[in-house]
Amino acid sequence: MIKLHKVSKSFSQFQAIKSISLTINKGEIYGIIGTSGAGKSTLLRLMNLLEVPNEGDVEVNGQQLTKLTSKSLRQARQSIGMIFQHFNLVANKTVYDNVAVSLELAKIPKQERKNRVIECLQFVGLEKLLDKYPAELSGGQKQRVAIARALANRPEVLLCDEPTSSLDPNTTAEILGVLENVNKSLGVTIVIVSHEMEVIKSICNRVTVMADGEIHDTVCIEPAGIANISNSPNWFVEQLVKGGE
Amino acid sequence: MPAVLVQYEAEIWKAIIETFAMVGASIAAAVLIGLPVGTLLFLCRKGKILENQMVFSVLNLVVNIIRSFPFLLLVVFLIPFTRLIIGTAIGTAAATVPLSIIAIAHYSRLVEQSLLDVPKGVMEAAISMGASVKEVIFKFLYVEARSGLVLGLTTSIISFISYSTIMGVVGGGGIGDFAIRYGYQQFKTDLMIYMIIIMVILVQIIQFTGTTVSRLIDKR
Repeated sequence: MIKLHKVSKSFSQFQAIKSISLTINKGEIYGIIGTSGAGKSTLLRLMNLLEVPNEGDVEVNGQQLTKLTSKSLRQARQSIGMIFQHFNLVANKTVYDNVAVSLELAKIPKQERKNRVIECLQFVGLEKLLDKYPAELSGGQKQRVAIARALANRPEVLLCDEPTSSLDPNTTAEILGVLENVNKSLGVTIVIVSHEMEVIKSICNRVTVMADGEIHDTVCIEPAGIANISNSPNWFVEQLVKGGE
Repeated sequence: MPAVLVQYEAEIWKAIIETFAMVGASIAAAVLIGLPVGTLLFLCRKGKILENQMVFSVLNLVVNIIRSFPFLLLVVFLIPFTRLIIGTAIGTAAATVPLSIIAIAHYSRLVEQSLLDVPKGVMEAAISMGASVKEVIFKFLYVEARSGLVLGLTTSIISFISYSTIMGVVGGGGIGDFAIRYGYQQFKTDLMIYMIIIMVILVQIIQFTGTTVSRLIDKR
């Protein structure tokens, strides 16, 4: 599904990615973990050419993105969804319009657009909030809108750049549940970049550990499942006391 | 109504219409040319989607040069150019040329500033969804920056009114010119004060409208 072939990327003097090759298979939930500055976000951003590699090839859905014209690249990007740590919604557009804009970009006729927007918002459980603006939503709801927006054009791949890093543990579990559902019921290949071990362990099948712009190791794991975190204050107390043992 | 206003009513209306014509032309130039120029200034910056050092430096320099002129000097300096375009350098129509040029330089800078306030991530999201440059501008940048663009235009319009008051030097007329010729040069101080009051009211209305519109369209 995604093939990187000897890609490297430098920012002025700093070499962020040093000749990395990797393959991500269809249907996987693939994790990329590492410390800050290890190059994991850059690696993810190479997969839709948000960062253009200095060397090497990027192949997604059987298309060599690095060889496409800018017009075909834009089309290819419509089947590569992406979500971000800070959601990156358009604050002056309603929930509905935030999702609809990705369909507009794909030149979907207005009638079809409406049905698809509702469908996507239902999938993430926000169909009741379509008239709200992002400022009126919680962090978890904003990320759900971003997921709906990324899914609108029925992508083959969903790239997630620290999708839960600005969310609390409860909301993190909620969003991971949505992502797992995206993978299981829609068959979308997911790549998650995170520095949170819990997040990676809970839903990934295969994980690459990055260090200094290189792949340190890649391991297959059995997803541990999403930790059940309770909302109750007693749960917090239990966790605190347990930690003292 | 005070007798002096009744006496000069026709001239005052003429002056108001001249001011509206000059400011209107400035607004049109600001929106039709200043907005694209400001957008280009923003998009050609380092790291932006049309990154182009050459275009950015040239535009930046030109905008700076125009804005460094004391406006009175700019008007005089542009006389040959005005004559080339309008056919004469005297009159209200001729006055719109230097006004439009300062309007473009003034507003383009404010547009650039408003666009710089749009979070970088919003543009990245747009690009990741496959938006073209045109779509990034109209479906994302302007939508996100709209309240800043309106406030910037409000500030600009008020400056244009101020600039228009000196257009008497090239026979442009307007409220400011009327206040100088009758109020100051003919010692009709009361008439001058009435003209100032008209300007104050005008500016208040514009600022109030601009602030209100910008607040209503800001959902951030």
